[in-house]
Amino acid sequence: MHRLIHFTRRLSRLVAVVSLLSAAAASAADLTVRIDGVRNQVGQLMLSLVDSSAGWENQVKPVAGRQVAADAKTIELVFSDLVAGDYALMVFHDENDNGKLDSNLIGMPVEGYGFSNNPQVMRKPTWDESRFTLAEDGQVVVIDLR
Amino acid sequence: MNRRRFLRNLLSGATALALAPAMLRNPALAGDPAQFARGLAEHPWLAGWKSVGAESFGPTTLAIEGRLPEGFSGTLYRNGPAWMERDGFRYEHWFDGDGMVHGWRFGDGTVAHRARIVATPKFLRERAAGRFNTLAAGTEVPNLEPIRNNDDANTANTSVTVINGRLFALSEAGSAFELDPDELDTLGPITWRDDLKALPFSAHPLRDRDGSVWNFGLVSMMGGAGLLVWHIGADGVLRSADLLDTPIPGYLHAFAMTDRHLLFVLMPVGFGDGRSFFERMRFQAEQPLRIAVVAKDTPTEAQWFEADFAAIYHFGDAYERRGRIVLRAVQHADLEEARSPMRAAMHGQPDAHGGHGRLAELHLDLRSGRAHWQDTGVERIEFPLFDPRTAGNRAARLYAPTVSGEHEAPYFNAVAAYDVDRGRRRLHRYGSQVLAEEHVFVPKPGRARVDQGWLVGTLLDSARGRTGIAVLDAERVDDGPLATAWLPYTLPLGFHGHFQPT
Repeated sequence: MHRLIHFTRRLSRLVAVVSLLSAAAASAADLTVRIDGVRNQVGQLMLSLVDSSAGWENQVKPVAGRQVAADAKTIELVFSDLVAGDYALMVFHDENDNGKLDSNLIGMPVEGYGFSNNPQVMRKPTWDESRFTLAEDGQVVVIDLR
Repeated sequence: MNRRRFLRNLLSGATALALAPAMLRNPALAGDPAQFARGLAEHPWLAGWKSVGAESFGPTTLAIEGRLPEGFSGTLYRNGPAWMERDGFRYEHWFDGDGMVHGWRFGDGTVAHRARIVATPKFLRERAAGRFNTLAAGTEVPNLEPIRNNDDANTANTSVTVINGRLFALSEAGSAFELDPDELDTLGPITWRDDLKALPFSAHPLRDRDGSVWNFGLVSMMGGAGLLVWHIGADGVLRSADLLDTPIPGYLHAFAMTDRHLLFVLMPVGFGDGRSFFERMRFQAEQPLRIAVVAKDTPTEAQWFEADFAAIYHFGDAYERRGRIVLRAVQHADLEEARSPMRAAMHGQPDAHGGHGRLAELHLDLRSGRAHWQDTGVERIEFPLFDPRTAGNRAARLYAPTVSGEHEAPYFNAVAAYDVDRGRRRLHRYGSQVLAEEHVFVPKPGRARVDQGWLVGTLLDSARGRTGIAVLDAERVDDGPLATAWLPYTLPLGFHGHFQPT
């Protein structure tokens, strides 16, 4: 839990940065992301997509970021024209539109969050735990928001 | 407390990771509903640990045996773990069941009972899934669903309080849940201030003479360090919330206070294998207790004392005289039993024991900084309560369920009033097959003298298959109940109540 708390602070900063970026790769693979378990239909979902351990550890910029209205219990979106290869996704639900994943006095997250592969851990998962392979003919990734 | 330092403690502390996952699975430790049902058929007193199968009961107006005293009017709210089984899986730790809040409403010479499960996110999610899927306090649950934070696992199952007419269901590992005081519908978790969302608000708040309410939150259960000290005004508005640094990652379930001080008794604990908090927690009996004496006007500062280890859930009163504080606590000698009270009963086994302990006094000398325990000779009690009007410089009379004479169930079968300093006890024995629960002291309206009041407590009559309630004169406990009323069925035992006069 304590590592999760530490992680949430970094995730907030990360997504604030990447929400300004757009996907810019030149290949053809499409990544379809379905986010289940959006608890309330207010605010935005903030996603960031990385393609390396360094990106997961916040040492290099993410490949893409996306901000989408949390207006349904399930949200689907597509990252287009990605290079086939390994990726990982993290997402949080900015319910109150303040641009960050809110946490309480001791750093416990109080808004929704999730990761690709839905690792069953109470900490930030590792790159290996969240990594998936995007094939050239595309991929669907389902994330359960917790 | 310095926030950065706090975060560092948080990151480095080998603390009580209540929500930490276990990498290795133990053999299944859960209870077996069929085994419990067999035990219950042979030993009807095990109904105290059965599961409810309905989310609400009543309202049911009950016949009164005897006569309700003039002026006795209001509602006894009670809470306790009630939903123990799903999909062939039974919790093995008493503290795991989902909370059910009861209202026993007295007025106009009648009493009506109703009860309702607290609709926590945990309960609703598991009801939809048809199985338990959430990290529990003391049972290893398979195939856990991920949770956002501790409030996703909150069972709201331990006690209740009323602040400014608002009813709250409490458990120590998360937010208070507000309920409708009439219908007992769940309104939702309470956020006292935005940055305090989901932080623990213990099941044992204490009311000050000005009507304000003090409480603590055990942040170390969440993987942090320290104690959160809450102060809620009589108007139900947060006055303050402060983090008190603690020298060890101790455990405590309740606290005590005097007119000037809050008293937090930290039990040293370590953590072994397992998934749930109580599976992993080990009392460190070779280490001393650490006792914080905190002046109410400076909640971030403490004078720390050490005293011999004791396993404690509940305190009686505390008083302060000439630079000395005395607080009363119920000590449990059997540490395994203390870690999982009535565990055998949860399994449907009749060889359960415990639930009760010895009353001891902890003496704290504020000048010398020394502390020591003194035995009182009072034994086999739990859930001690007292008249909150008692002066702050003398010992209160204590009211507690106890064990007396022949008894079929390994639980309480009597209630008593204890004048500890005079060595006097007045006791009423309900019977060998009756299980007696906490008895709440209710001051008589218009009477100023301390201890003029009634006791109201719930009972499980296992011989006749009924759950009921009794009202006694607190000054004449040995006369027995003035009035009793019975439901035509049994309900599982609960823990703590609060009487709200009308």
